[in-house]
Amino acid sequence: MLPSFKANKFSGSDSEPLTSTAAETDSSNNCHDAIPAHLNQKADSELSSPDVTAHRSSIATGGATPIAARESVVRYQMALRETAYTDLRQITIFLGTYNVNGQPPTSGLADWLSIDKDPPDIYAVGFQELDLSKEAFLFNETPREEEWYRAVFRGLHPKGKYRKVKLVRLVGMMLIVFIQEKHWAYVRSVASEVVGTGLMGKMGNKGGVAIRFDLHNSSICFVNSHLAAHTEEVERRNQDYLDICNRLVFSTTFPSKSIKDHDQVFWIGDLNYRLSGDLDLLRVKELLDQNNHQALLQYDQFRAQHAAHKIFIGYQEGPIQFRPSYKYDPGTDNWDTSEKNRAPAWCDRCLWKGDNVQVKDYRSHPGLRMSDHKPVSCFLECGVKIIDTVRYRKIYEEVMKKLDKLENEFLPQVSVDSTEINFGKVSFNEGATKVLTVANTGQVPVQYEFIKKHRDSNYCKPWLACEPYTGFLMPGDNSYITLEVLVDKRTAWSLNSGLDELYDILVLHLDGGKDIFITVSGQYQKSCFGCSIEALIQMHQPISQVPPETVCQYEKAAYPSVDPGNDSDSKQPVLAVPKELWFILDELYRRGMDTPGLFEQPGLSSEIAAIRRTLDDSLPDTLPGSVHSVAESLLIFLETLKEPIIPFGLTQKALDGCTAFASCKMVYTSLPLSHQHVFKHIISFLKEVLLHSNKNGLDAKTLVALFGSAMIRLPPPKYPLGSSISLSQNQPHLDRKRTTFIHHFLVNDLDD
Amino acid sequence: MSAGPYNYSYIFKYIIIGDMGVGKSCLLHQFTEKKFMADCPHTIGVEFGTRIIEVAGQKIKLQIWDTAGQERFRAVTRSYYRGAAGALLVYDITRRSTYNHLSSWLSDARNLTNPNTVIFLIGNKSDLEAQRDVTYEEAKQFAEENELLFIEASAKTGDNVEDAFLETAKKIYQNIQDGSLDLNAAESGVQHKPLQPGRSQPQNTPNPTKEGCAC
Repeated sequence: MLPSFKANKFSGSDSEPLTSTAAETDSSNNCHDAIPAHLNQKADSELSSPDVTAHRSSIATGGATPIAARESVVRYQMALRETAYTDLRQITIFLGTYNVNGQPPTSGLADWLSIDKDPPDIYAVGFQELDLSKEAFLFNETPREEEWYRAVFRGLHPKGKYRKVKLVRLVGMMLIVFIQEKHWAYVRSVASEVVGTGLMGKMGNKGGVAIRFDLHNSSICFVNSHLAAHTEEVERRNQDYLDICNRLVFSTTFPSKSIKDHDQVFWIGDLNYRLSGDLDLLRVKELLDQNNHQALLQYDQFRAQHAAHKIFIGYQEGPIQFRPSYKYDPGTDNWDTSEKNRAPAWCDRCLWKGDNVQVKDYRSHPGLRMSDHKPVSCFLECGVKIIDTVRYRKIYEEVMKKLDKLENEFLPQVSVDSTEINFGKVSFNEGATKVLTVANTGQVPVQYEFIKKHRDSNYCKPWLACEPYTGFLMPGDNSYITLEVLVDKRTAWSLNSGLDELYDILVLHLDGGKDIFITVSGQYQKSCFGCSIEALIQMHQPISQVPPETVCQYEKAAYPSVDPGNDSDSKQPVLAVPKELWFILDELYRRGMDTPGLFEQPGLSSEIAAIRRTLDDSLPDTLPGSVHSVAESLLIFLETLKEPIIPFGLTQKALDGCTAFASCKMVYTSLPLSHQHVFKHIISFLKEVLLHSNKNGLDAKTLVALFGSAMIRLPPPKYPLGSSISLSQNQPHLDRKRTTFIHHFLVNDLDD
Repeated sequence: MSAGPYNYSYIFKYIIIGDMGVGKSCLLHQFTEKKFMADCPHTIGVEFGTRIIEVAGQKIKLQIWDTAGQERFRAVTRSYYRGAAGALLVYDITRRSTYNHLSSWLSDARNLTNPNTVIFLIGNKSDLEAQRDVTYEEAKQFAEENELLFIEASAKTGDNVEDAFLETAKKIYQNIQDGSLDLNAAESGVQHKPLQPGRSQPQNTPNPTKEGCAC
């Protein structure tokens, strides 16, 4: 099975044959804190998008993506301002390429690698056809790697002290990069990759190998490639080039980079472009004898393809003033005399792309005669961006500060038209509404919600409701929240007794942002509705004329279970029944007995409110409103009593014993005295009503059903019941039992 | 320099507490915007601010909750203490009453936060020396008795504001380093951002040229 060389990194770059000098170069161990490599990411498409607002806004939410977004924004901002904190420094680079035709290094390489006066800062030396054996091709194994590596190392400029950055090899293509020791501390993120474009588009006899790293603040990439051979294979070579560009990705960097994502790219190798086949071989040699390279270069396939923008777009090459590097009889400087009789060509080239690169010398080295190619080299000067620490820090801080500011500015912001909402006087069963306007005054969409306070079960008190309690607001938009206060039978008593007050603080929470406290208040007008019998019978005055504290005191003392510490010792004479009940019953005795539809036709809520106010404020001779409103007021009054006439503690007993009058009567006798009185009044009243049934049309069944549910109520969910009591009654069953219970008292005499 | 995926590796939650009008919001604003906010309205609720700082080479994101100081909101603002890594307890050096209330605030802070929450006492309005009503020494003593960090600062001039926030963070970071603050505890007030595999570590010292460059 053939190994796929793209997938497997058989580069052997980790072998360290010259342990005395070559240092470990793996990038992951490179802990020099030099330059933030990511600053070079100018071309990050996500960042160059003009729509920065989108992820800026998400920064504020503090979630997962914003972190990455912020990182990107920092990188982008720093890249934009790179020139403000970097200086260019010139370094020299030696690029060398040599197709060695499978030969071992039989002579020194100094004539190729160190003919310049000054030692280059960086060497990038590429080989092709390092090993033409089957082993190399199939298994990517070759002793030549080490032989040539040693030869190169020995041939480096004697005035420089070099350190290997990386070696990478794919079959016969090998690239070695050295850098002078003094620069080593500023090298980061070294990575190498290989791409095979040979057989089946992946075998490694053709293709490219590459090494990249960051030096100071510049990203640099070296590529060594061996493209398809033969004069007529121009398209194939072009394709190989494009394949390498597309497929070579350095995946170990973050974010991953391809060749084009570097400040400077240096591309060397046996590109294999020939002189166009139209040219007669004799004519070629004639021109070569005249050293007329310019005439010949007009036939150079590479130049033609490059000029047509088919390959190496943006790359430059130094002026060619040397003889073609191919093809010679090995061991000589003579053009190929084999039977193939290949035409000479400038197969071996050095190219570069990027700013601030100047070619100093471009030449071949005919003195090296091991191969049928001559090595070629290019000496360059290259500007590297060096960070000025002080300016970098300053700008980095500025960017961070700007982002902090942005982040705070992009927090969700709303304003509310009021944080104090006073409902003024609030009466029983009379709902009141106010509108709270929430305006999104920030720069980002806002999700708002009224949230629960610590330990609370709901976001607001039971007498309050907000509609909507949650919503979504775009910048500039308003939301109108209706707050409704309604004190009904569920909440009246706690307000009457002072256990609760009309005061609540709502927490309006902005998702990912601040909270606003909205204070809601009002003055509850205490009402005889929602009191307890025990408290009402102590009030000789209308409730509105009783000091609120006194009402609270009566209520708290009413049932020891509510406030066991406070026994009422101030025994003033109490009323037999609540006077309000007496007024209502009296009104009905006088006006209602003969009214058709009594208790069946509903009253008017405005009249019911007027009746309630009359009872709360005065000791009336008559009540306002229709008989039906008075009748409904009676039922509401009974239904809103804090403890029903049959108190919660006796509910179960009443329901269980409803079949026999005797047991019902026992329930009656266990009632508190005040409840007994009320019960008796109601029963007498009901009997009287039934005496007029020919006029008012009521029958006993309807009447007891109505009063049953007002007089016998199920305890509220949290009522402290005795352990054995189960009240899991279904509704019709329950109604029947309640009805039966009351009915006994209509047909029997209580005093029996 | 962080070459990692995040700009910060920790998130610390702070709360700012203290009487109404001692300058809690102004301290926050001075810290996040480096500006003094004159005529700052009373905070009706809980304001939120954020800034990234650096402690021992680590980037830390501070999420700061600035609470309403009014007594009537006290019951509500108590819900915000939970999970705070740092509490800035602020009084006004020109109003003794705000100093006198410190023990009540402190007992809330102690009861409602975790034992490792760093509490930093700030005597604000240090620029108003002429109106001083609480001496540095007595506050210092109060701080020592209650094992609080202490500084006098001015949200107006910015004096010591940065220090108060940063020293708190340093102390929290120190607690993390010496293991006394358990990051896994539910209410440590600290979130650690784990590094993602395959990406380089944030570097400790962002100083590219500290190693001698001979070139």
